[in-house]
Amino acid sequence: MTTNKNSSEMDTGRRHFLAAIGGAGMLIGLSGTAYALRDEKIYIKTSGGALVVDLKKCMGCGTCMTTCSLAHHGKASVSLSRIQITQDVFKSFPQDIEMSTCLQCEDAPCVAACPVNANKASEDFGFVRDIDPAKCIGCMQCIEACPQTPKRVQWNPITRSAQKCDLCLNTPYMEEQGGIGGVQACKKVCPVGAIGFITELPEQNLPQSYVVNLRNENWAKTGKTIED
Amino acid sequence: MKKLKGFAGKILHIDLNNLTHHILPTEDYYEWGGGHGFGAKLFWDLCEDIEAVTDGRDPRNVITIAGSPFSGTNVPSAGGRCEVTNMSVGLIPRNRFTRSNFGGHFSSMMKHAGWDAVTVTGKAPYPVYIDVRNDHVMIREASHLWGKDTHETQQIIQEDVASVEVTSGWSGQLDGNSFGRTTQKASVLTVGQAGENQSALGCLIHGAGNAAGQGGSGAVFGSKNLKAISFIGTGAVEIADPEALIKARFITRDFYAADVDKSAAFAYPSLGGKPEAVTFSTMPTGHRVSSCHGCVNGCKQRNAIGYGNEVTCQTSLWYLGAVRSYKFGGDAKLSLSNRGLELTEDSLYAGDLANKLGINTYPIMGLIPWLQKMHAKGELGSGKEIHSELPYELLGTREFAEQFCQAIATGTDIGAHFIDGIVPGIESLGHGADVDNGTLHYPYYGMPEHGYDPRAELEWGYATLMTDRDMNDHGLNWIYWTVNLAKLEGINFPIPAETLVTRFVEKMAPYVQPNEVSAMDYASHNMYSEVLARQVQWINHYGRFWKNSALMCDFRWPDCVNTHREDLRGATGNDEVGEQVWWNAVTGEGISYVDGIERGRRIFNLDNAIWVLQGRHRDDAKFADYIYDQKMTHNKLPTYLWPATNEAGEWDYREMLGRQHSREGVEEWKSHYYRAEGWDIATGWPTRSLLEGMGMKDVADRLEQVGKLGSET
Ligand code: SF4
Ligand code: SF4
Ligand code: SF4
Repeated sequence: MTTNKNSSEMDTGRRHFLAAIGGAGMLIGLSGTAYALRDEKIYIKTSGGALVVDLKKCMGCGTCMTTCSLAHHGKASVSLSRIQITQDVFKSFPQDIEMSTCLQCEDAPCVAACPVNANKASEDFGFVRDIDPAKCIGCMQCIEACPQTPKRVQWNPITRSAQKCDLCLNTPYMEEQGGIGGVQACKKVCPVGAIGFITELPEQNLPQSYVVNLRNENWAKTGKTIED
Repeated sequence: MKKLKGFAGKILHIDLNNLTHHILPTEDYYEWGGGHGFGAKLFWDLCEDIEAVTDGRDPRNVITIAGSPFSGTNVPSAGGRCEVTNMSVGLIPRNRFTRSNFGGHFSSMMKHAGWDAVTVTGKAPYPVYIDVRNDHVMIREASHLWGKDTHETQQIIQEDVASVEVTSGWSGQLDGNSFGRTTQKASVLTVGQAGENQSALGCLIHGAGNAAGQGGSGAVFGSKNLKAISFIGTGAVEIADPEALIKARFITRDFYAADVDKSAAFAYPSLGGKPEAVTFSTMPTGHRVSSCHGCVNGCKQRNAIGYGNEVTCQTSLWYLGAVRSYKFGGDAKLSLSNRGLELTEDSLYAGDLANKLGINTYPIMGLIPWLQKMHAKGELGSGKEIHSELPYELLGTREFAEQFCQAIATGTDIGAHFIDGIVPGIESLGHGADVDNGTLHYPYYGMPEHGYDPRAELEWGYATLMTDRDMNDHGLNWIYWTVNLAKLEGINFPIPAETLVTRFVEKMAPYVQPNEVSAMDYASHNMYSEVLARQVQWINHYGRFWKNSALMCDFRWPDCVNTHREDLRGATGNDEVGEQVWWNAVTGEGISYVDGIERGRRIFNLDNAIWVLQGRHRDDAKFADYIYDQKMTHNKLPTYLWPATNEAGEWDYREMLGRQHSREGVEEWKSHYYRAEGWDIATGWPTRSLLEGMGMKDVADRLEQVGKLGSET
C-alpha cells in the first residue's frame, strides 16, 4: 500500500479543526495518529488525495458509476456508486451535467459525525476518509452531516450501512491496487478523462475548487471548447 | 438451463385491454439472448393471430422494448442500447414484423429497476402511461400528458417520480420491503403528437433526442392509447465475473479506444472512434459530446445555444438542404459539400422540432425537395392542385419548419396526405411515378433511403431486401464515410483498400473465409456474386445477435478495423475484448463469437418465419424501379468511393456513382442468398428441416398449417 508522503507527515500545516468535539475524545482513543491534538483542538489529518472533475468534458456515460460499484460490490449499479453523475438532458451545456465526488474534506463533517469511528480517516492509507462496513451501525448520521448536495455518503440498503468514496481502497473485484497511489477505477475507466486525481487538496471554502479543466489542444481539435 | 447472471430475471407484460400486468420469467427466453431475440419470440408467443394483423395499429399488435444482459453495465457501447419490435405501420407492399432501436439511459434504468424488457399488448380504453418504480408497476391515467410534446412529457413524469427526497439530492424509491435511493431522473420513453395521432411517421423519443421510429412504432403507441413508459430503478445488475469485466474495460480504454488527451489523429469510427458529435454541419464549440450509458466514446451532443440537444446524425440533417437552399439558393436536396457553421443553428432547431413532436425525420427529409419542386411548378400551394396553406416560399426557415412539422404531426394541411407514410401519400396524390423514377428516394418497401444508395452500397440494399426495413447496420458503412469524407477534405485515406478489406473478411466467420477478400469487392463484375450473399448473411446474423439482441451499438460494433492497433485488427471476436468476452464475463455462460452469430441465425430465421406468415414471398424482395432503370448520378458527398478491384484484380477505392442494378442480377443474387440460408429459392420460405435443425419444430408446424413451408429440394 502506498501512502502519500505529504499527508502522512504530522505537521504539514494543513490540519483542520474537528468540529464535533464531543466525539473527538473517543476518536483519539480509538484511532491514534489519524487525529492530532494541538492548542486544545482536535484535527483530522488531511487526506493524501482526492478526485477532481471537468464538468465540460464529461459525456454522461455513467461508466464511472457502474465501474465503481463493480469494483467494490461486484455488481453494476448506479445507486451503489460512490461517484454520482447527474444529468438534465433538457438543460443547456454546461448546466446539463453535475459530477458529484467526495471531496475528502479536510474537516470531514462525515467523519466527525460518526459516533463509533466507523467513518474515519484511514491512517494506514493516506488518511482517505473511509467507512468500515463492519463497524457501521447504520445510524445515517454521516449521511446527514455531509454538507454536499447530493450527499456524498450513500446508503447501501443491502448491507444496511453507509458507504463513501474510499479512492478505491477496498475493491475486491478490481485486479489493480486501489487507494491513494493506486488506481481509482472511475478515473481509469473514464473514456474522455473527465476525472483527475490530486494529492494537494484545494481551497476548502470555495465550492468550485474541485472543478478543473482537463481539456487540451487535442480536445479543441475535435471541435469542442477548451475554455474554463 | 443454468441461471445466468446479467439478466434481471423478469419481463414485464402489460395487457392494456384489461389494464393489468404480469411477469414472464426471463429464463424462458434466455436462448433468444435479449433485445430483438426477446421481441421476436414474444411476438411469436403473444400475438394472437399473426396472419390477421396487417397494420401495426391493430390492438393485437405486440410491441416490445427490450434490454439485454449488457444493459445497465459498463460493457463498452452496449450498456444503454434498447431494441423496439412491433408490427409495422406504413410499409409496402404490406406491413411486417419490424424493429428499431434507440440509446440513452432507458434500458440501463429498466435493468436497474429489475426488468429485462417490457412487452405491451392490447389497447387501453383511455390514454395511459406506465410508471415503473423498481418492482412497483402502475398503469396510470395520462390525460394530463396527452397533447404534450416529448420533452415536456418526460419532465412532468420525472418530477413526479422524484417527489420523495430522502436526503438532499437523493430520492427514495420503494424497493421490495426496503427503500432504495437514487440521484437519477426517471428514464422515460414517449410519443409526441405524431405518435398520438397514429401517424406512420411517428416515433418514440427518450431523452432529448434518442429516437426509434422506422416502421412506425410511434403510431403503435398512439393506437394503444399509450403515451409513455417510465422506469426508475435503484437496484443492480448481477455480474458473473466482475473482475474480468473491469479488466476488459480497462484494456479497451488503454488499447482499443481513442484517447483524445493524447491525439486527435484519424481514428476509424468503430470501437476506436473519437468522442465527437455525429452532426452534419459544423458545430459551435460550445457543446459537449454526450453518450448512451456505458459508451466508450459518445456520438451525441448538448449545446450552449439552448436547443438542439442530442440532435444527432439523421435528425441534424433532415432540414440542412432546405436551410442551405433558403440561404444560398439552389434546391433543397441534401448535399454535404458545404457544411458551414451558418447552417448549423437552423438545422439543430429543426431537429429539435421533430424530436419534440416525435417525428421520424428519415421519411420527411426526402419529401422536402419534392414539395419545393411541386411548389415551384405551381402545383402545390393555396388553391393549387395540391392544396396547402404552408408558406413554401419560406421553405428553409424556422417558420416553415414549425408549420410543416405541426402539419405532419397532427395530420393536417399537407400532413393529412402522409398519415400512412410518404409513399402511400405520394401515390394517393397521383404522383406515384415520382417514386418509380427516383425523383423521390424511397428505394425499398416504401421506406426512405437511409443515405446509402443500393446501387453503390451493395450490402445495405441487399440486407434490406432480405430483412424488414432499411437494414440500418453501419458495420461496413463507416468505409463510405471515412473514405469519402477524407476525399472531400483532400486528405489521403490512410489505409490501403486491400488492407482494409482483409481486416474485414478476417472477422466474417463462419460465412466468409479469411482469404476471401472478394466478399468486399463492390466492383460491377462482382455485384451479384455468391460470396456477396455470404457476406450479407454474416451481416444479418452477426447483427441479429450481437447488435440487435446483445445490444452492442451499431456505430461501435463490429470492430473490424481499429486504428489504435498496430496491425489494424479490431476487437471483434478476439480473446481479449471481443464480443464473447463481454457476454461471458456478464452472464457466465461461456459461448464463442461464432456461437453468438449462430444464435443470430436462429433469431433471423424466426423473423423470416413471422414475415412469411404475414404474407412475404420472394417477389416482395425488390427495389423501386429507378434502382434498376436509372444510373446513380447523385450522392450527398461528391464521391461514392468503395473498395473494389479493376479488371486486372487490383484493389483501390473506386467510384460507384454512375451505375445501376439489373433485375436479373439482383434476382441471381437473391438465389445465392436463399440457397445460403437454406430457404426455398422459388418462394423464400424456410423448409421444415432447416427450422427443425434449429430447434423450431413448432414454427415449422405453424407454417405448414398455412401451407407456407418451403420445398426441401
Ligand atoms: S462524504 Fe461529504 S463530508 Fe465526507 S469527506 Fe466526502 S464530501 Fe466531505
Ligand atoms: S475513486 Fe473509486 S471509490 Fe471513489 S468514486 Fe472513483 S471508483 Fe468510486
Ligand atoms: S466515465 Fe467519465 S464521461 Fe462517463 S460519466 Fe463518468 S466522468 Fe463522465
